[in-house]
Amino acid sequence: MNISALTRYLVLLIVTLICSIQIHASFAAEKKDRYKFENKFIKFGLYPRTPEQMAAFYEGRGFPKQAVSATTKHCFITVGMRNISKTKIWLDLSRWRIYNIQGEVNRTNREQWKQKWTQLKVPLASQATFTWTLLPESRDLHPDEPVGGNITLQPMDSPFTVEANFATGEDQQGKTLKVIIEDVRCLKNGEKAS
Amino acid sequence: MNKFVKAITFMLFITVPGLLSAEIKIPEGIIKLDGRSAPQLKLEDIDGNSYDIKQSRGKWVFVHFWAAWCGPCRREMPTVQRMVEQLKDHAIDVVLVNTAETDDEVFSFMGVIAPDMSTLMDRDGLVTESWQPRGLPASFFVSPRGTLEYIALGGRTWDKPKFLNFVKQLIETK
Repeated sequence: MNISALTRYLVLLIVTLICSIQIHASFAAEKKDRYKFENKFIKFGLYPRTPEQMAAFYEGRGFPKQAVSATTKHCFITVGMRNISKTKIWLDLSRWRIYNIQGEVNRTNREQWKQKWTQLKVPLASQATFTWTLLPESRDLHPDEPVGGNITLQPMDSPFTVEANFATGEDQQGKTLKVIIEDVRCLKNGEKAS
Repeated sequence: MNKFVKAITFMLFITVPGLLSAEIKIPEGIIKLDGRSAPQLKLEDIDGNSYDIKQSRGKWVFVHFWAAWCGPCRREMPTVQRMVEQLKDHAIDVVLVNTAETDDEVFSFMGVIAPDMSTLMDRDGLVTESWQPRGLPASFFVSPRGTLEYIALGGRTWDKPKFLNFVKQLIETK
């Protein structure tokens, strides 16, 4: 092999390596960012959790067995968002739509959880912790304000869509901000969000 | 004399708006509240020492609600500790309130994250609820008169100059 052939071989090898690294990186980014959304108003992300993750979290904080068991019967999706605009954004879960091919998906709200905890005689401290881990039902998000927490759904095998609608502006009269994330899945134990 | 009055009027005209605009400069991430009375806050710390916010009347109070499970609290707490160190010669009380956790959880968190600080224990979470924070962590500024004046939106880096200067301005306006 002469020098020019060796050079060509090396260049080809380097180009191939760079391409394969880029392809891998773009796939990784796509997978990682599938449940994320960002525009000039909002940064928004969904993070599905397995029942085991949630049980470990609440069990580790001394929740009674009956309460831990109740959490495992739900599909937990952690929602994180930040208002990155210069105006107010209004979080109101009653304006969100969560649906799959069969129709609307039931969400358990904090009032329903409160009733469940009262029935199960869950101590106030555990109730308080649980409530603080839920996404607020409604909130006016000021510029640069973050908010996060879980939404809880009836577990399902089929993928679903989360359509988050936000009013904007000081008086909620601004343009409606719509974030749609499709093909979201409830995680089973052992699964990872892909 | 007429000229003198005119000159004084002119000087006032120039300086008064300046004095008014020298009001507290609120950094991004902190909003003004309506000045209603702060809710009751009477709790014990992990060693059983009791504290009532009424005993801080006459001083600004930084009331910080937190929990060990909350990621932003974990990131924010060291900045609170550094802010406290920087403000040690200033007349402000910094009051931490843990929301609904056990001694063990708090002890292992504080021992690692903010070993020089102590926290009150809101064991059933009811005091936290009565303050209606916008989430955890939450930081309120209570005036020397006992009124709610400002709240921070989410976790903030309290040892940054813009926040330190804000707090120092508050103390000076006592």
